[in-house]
Order: sequence, then C-alpha cells, then structure tokens
Amino acid sequence: MLKKSLRSIYIISHKELIDYVRDWRTLIAVVLVPLLIFPAIFFVLPLVLQSELNERQSMPLDIYLESNQNITEFDFLTSKFGDNLLNYTFFELNNDINLNDTKNSMDDIKNSNISSVLRLSYDSNTSIWNYYIIYDSTQESSNEAYQRIRNILSQWEDNMTSERIKNAGLKEDEILDPLQPAESLQGDIATAAEQAGFVFSFIIPLFVSIWTATSGVQPSIDMTAGERERGTLETLLCSPCSRLELLLGKWLAVTCIVAVSIILQLTGLVFAISFLISGSILQPPELSIYSILLFLVAVSVFAIMVVALEMALAMRSRSVKEAGSILGPMMLFFFLPAIFAQFINLESIELFWFAVPAVNVLLAMRELLQNEIHLAHIFVWIFSSLIYAACATWYASRQFLREDLVESIN
Amino acid sequence: MGQILLSVRNVTKTFGTLNALENFSVDIDSGAIIGLVGSNGAGKTTLLRLLCGLYRPNQGKVLFLKDGKENNIDQFREVVGVLPESTGLYHRLTAWENIRYYSRLHGVSDSVSWERTLRFSKALSISNDLMRHTRGFSRGMRQKIALIRALAHGPEILLLDEPTAGLDVTSARLVRKLVLQLKEEGGTVIYSTHNLSEAEKVCDRILIMHNGQLRFDGSPANLLIETETSSLEDAYIQLTTDDARIKEKEESEGWFSKQWRQLFTRKTNYSNIKEDE
Repeated sequence: MLKKSLRSIYIISHKELIDYVRDWRTLIAVVLVPLLIFPAIFFVLPLVLQSELNERQSMPLDIYLESNQNITEFDFLTSKFGDNLLNYTFFELNNDINLNDTKNSMDDIKNSNISSVLRLSYDSNTSIWNYYIIYDSTQESSNEAYQRIRNILSQWEDNMTSERIKNAGLKEDEILDPLQPAESLQGDIATAAEQAGFVFSFIIPLFVSIWTATSGVQPSIDMTAGERERGTLETLLCSPCSRLELLLGKWLAVTCIVAVSIILQLTGLVFAISFLISGSILQPPELSIYSILLFLVAVSVFAIMVVALEMALAMRSRSVKEAGSILGPMMLFFFLPAIFAQFINLESIELFWFAVPAVNVLLAMRELLQNEIHLAHIFVWIFSSLIYAACATWYASRQFLREDLVESIN
Repeated sequence: MGQILLSVRNVTKTFGTLNALENFSVDIDSGAIIGLVGSNGAGKTTLLRLLCGLYRPNQGKVLFLKDGKENNIDQFREVVGVLPESTGLYHRLTAWENIRYYSRLHGVSDSVSWERTLRFSKALSISNDLMRHTRGFSRGMRQKIALIRALAHGPEILLLDEPTAGLDVTSARLVRKLVLQLKEEGGTVIYSTHNLSEAEKVCDRILIMHNGQLRFDGSPANLLIETETSSLEDAYIQLTTDDARIKEKEESEGWFSKQWRQLFTRKTNYSNIKEDE
C-alpha cells in the first residue's frame, strides 16, 4: 500500500516537473533570474550609477559668484571652480542686500541659464564669511552645482582654518585632531569567520524566507488553480490516486522548484559578494555539523509550511487570476516577519519569540549562522514549526478534498 | 444482461438550495452500453461525478459491486476510464505522455498501455499524432486522445461525458464504432449525451433524466412502447413536459464576494430604455 502511494506521489511530481520545465518561462523564472539578480544588483547597478555619476561630474556648469568683497579675495575659490568645471561670473553685491533674497536669481536658475548662485559676504567685525547658495533641488545640473560648491567651500574653510591656526602659532594636529585611535579595529576580538557568520545571519535568513515564499507562488498556482482553470483536474481526480497522494505529489514538485531556485539565488549571491567585497569577511562562517543540519531543518519546515499554505490558497481559487490576487498580498505575511526578525536582539532573547510563526524559523537561522546552539530555543522552534507545518499541510489536504475542485471557470 | 456493477441507491445530491439529484436509484449492469440522456441541468454530469466518487451524496449510497461484495466507491476509480466534458489534456505534454501519465497512475506498465494506445489510435485515425504536443490539437483530436487515455489502462467500465461533442461526422462515427467494439469485447459503457438519435444507435439501455429525476429506464424500443409514440424525440418530450430548471447550480462563492460583485454591476432598467426609444 505504502509502495503504491509512494509510486503515485513520484509519478505525479515527475509529471508536474516535466510539465513545468517545458514552459520556457520557467527557465527565466527559476534559473536565469535567481542566478543573475544578485550579480546584476552588485555589478551592473553600481556600474550604471558610476557611469551616470561620471557623466554628471564631467558636465561644465555656469554659476554666479556674488559678494560684497572684491574678486581678488577669492583666488582660492576661483582656482577650485576651474578645477571643478564651474564657469563663474562675478557680481558685486551691495552691502544692503539680504543674502537670502532669491528674487533676482530665481528666473536664471529656473530657465537653466545658470545652475546656481553663490553669495558671500564678509563681516570684518567677527572675521566670519557668511554664504548662501541658491539652487533648484529638482534640477540635476543645479543639484550637481550645489554639491560642487559645497565641497569647494568646505576645502576653503579647511584652508582658512589651517592658516588661522598657523598664524596663531599653534599646531594643527593638536587643535583639530586631539583624539586618535592607535590602530583601526585593533580591539575587535571576533575572528573573520565569526564576523562573516554575523553578517550572513542578517542577510541569509531574510533572503531565504523571501525566496521560499516567492519561488513557490507561480508553480503552486500553476499546479492547482491552473489545473482547475484548464479543466485537467477533473480527470486527475478520477484517477485511482488519493487526494493526499495528489497533494504530496504536487507539493514535492513545488518544493523541488523552490529548492533549485533558492540554491541558484544563493549561488548568485555568494558569487556577487565574493567578487565585490575582498578581505576577511568573505571567509565562510565556521559552522558545526549540528548548526548546518539544524539550519537545513529550519529551512525545510519553513518551506513545508509556506508551500502547503500557498498550495491550499491556490487550490481554493478557481482561476489563475484569482489565485494571484490572493497569494500576492499574502507574501506580506512572510516578508514582514522576515524583516521584523532582523531587529530582534538575539542576546537575552525571550523564549516565546521562538514560538511565533515564521519569526521563529528566521531567528533560528540567525542563531545557527552565528554557530549558537541553545537547546531550549531549538526545542521550541522545532516543536512549534512542526505544529505550524502540520496545520498548514492539514489545511491544504482539506482544500484538496473540496467537492468544487472539479468545477472549472471554463 | 450481466451482473450488477454499480448501484446508486436513493441518492440525493444538493448544491445549496438546488437538488441536482432527487432520491435517484439505478443499477448499472456489466457488458452493456447505458445512455444518459437529458437536457442541460438534468443531473447527468452530477451522476457521473457521483459514480467516480468526485461528489459525495447528501443522502443514499453509491456502491461498487465486485465479486458479490459491496465496495466503497473510491475503489471504483481503479477500474474506471473517464472521459470528462472538458478533455483535460496537458498541452505541454505529448499525446502519448498524457495517456501514459494516467496509465502509470493506474499501475499499468508503459509497454501494455502503448500497445493499447496504438490499437485505439489506429481505430480513431490519430496514430500519427501521438508524439505531438497537444497544444495545437483541434477539439476533435483532443477528444480522441482523451478517449484513448480513458481506455489505455484497460478499464472494466467507461464513463463518457458527451464523447462526440465537437467532433465532425466521420470522427463521431469512429468513436461510436469504437464504443460498440468495446461492448462486443464485454466492456461496460455509460454514455452521456444530449443526442437521442446517437443514444439510439449506440445504447442498449437509455436513462432519461430530467430535473434530477429518473424519468425512464429501459431499451429504446421499450421507450416507444411505454410512451406510445413513434419517435424517440416525441417520447422524450412526453416524458419531460415540465419545464427544465432555469436556475443553475449556485456558485460556490461567499457572501462578501457576491455583494462586492453586485456593487459594481450596473442595474439596467429595460422598461425605461423602451420608453426613451
């Protein structure tokens, strides 16, 4: 009897996988996107951003320099303007003009005649320069001019500060930098592997939970609501396999797809990180065999629960559209705990957190990636997760027993 | 007539407020072709689904009798071949893969099912298309492959829901010929159809269903005698004089879904339109 059941489950899952893989869109959804998403985010996006930045920085911009002082006072500034591709036109300011009066300059900036206006006024009583930059934050060129002016003013200020300290007969280091570390990071006693584990404990559980939830949606819908919509389910329900065998066969197929997707995404992520960041952080975290096994258990029970829930809800739907409308918002129920679990402090954590659905598995993954094994925590999360997974599977099996499954919108 | 294979005893099946079948009883003997004839909503598909165990009766019992023993209807699925109203073919699989999938689920080896598939596909003139994906198949081709799928695992009984629907004249004749051939070989067929003349050509026994009730059970010849009419059409009309139910089976959707849909459904008052015109 068991042999027959296992055979039926195998036949169903085998057919489902063949059917799914033959859709060319599967290649994109399960193979290409998972493999390329992280290299794209880590390589291509920075390259595009850098190229855009370079383009902006190589753009010559016109500005007005306005002051109540003579232009000869601004040798430092004007030489820096040249270095930073800022073409300036100097205007003398009346002493009675208010620095933040933007009326005259507004039209020139709005019409893109100039990108920005720098106003400087010197108070001889206090020996302080006051400045005011007029720009339009909604224009890229104006924003760029603003940034360049801010940088140049900062350099000018440093220069003036140095000169004034020297003129006062003081040492620059003693005044500006009286507290210095002996050697950077000297006091960190964590090994590189521990540091890696700590970093990965924030990244991996978050991604694994999101991948598990998202990778299972499309195949779950295709194998349940899709079958109903296409009218193939009635024939299948007339076959001698039981509803439970049917559920398990389909569940196994979806789980295989989710597993492949997660492995490929993980490969893409590790590949991207290993090329992007050099140094100690890339060392693999030192995990005991127990941590690795328990991590796999955590992922498995989470996947059992998620896939069963997705299949149950998709099976309730009579069309692919209906299933998509239900499962789309349902992703929040997995994403929010995943994000929430990142902010829970693992040190001195209360035991009940390890019984909260979804959060418990994510916290367990975080602990295990830090090679922390607490028997009480493990007992609570395994026990509670198994209960949740069993409930989800029971709910899914109930949906597979529904009489209206044979009804199709077609 | 052979032994009783299936027994439907005082079955009532309701969907919401609609009685799809009312106190329905019938015995199905082996070795015969039994025609289920009735208009839309008569309860033919509901009866077929009850026989397959897809629906559970609200009252009464559906029994599968084998070797003199009463078995649960779930065991019936092991010996039945079904051609549902929707052909239910997977379009990313080839015709042969579709057939093989169901044969495997019935525990039949690929070589046996292939042999049977070849035989039936030749009879239905579709053997050259077995290795093609069913995506581009016409309605008729799909119907033929679905029929072969129902036969390939060697069922003891065949349930056919509108097997010639959508088929051209030649294909429909091929299907009828095959069904008669199966009967010659001792097979049992339950044949649901709208078409009285088709039922007359193929069936040994006709069950006329109307509004979930059995109005006639007997041979085509007896139908004419009992109703004292000269044609099956007249006989059918005489038996089904009361109007067919207009009310369709209630949709299985919740209260909120229904209200929400109504909210965005414009109510048109046709009497006003006429006045405007």
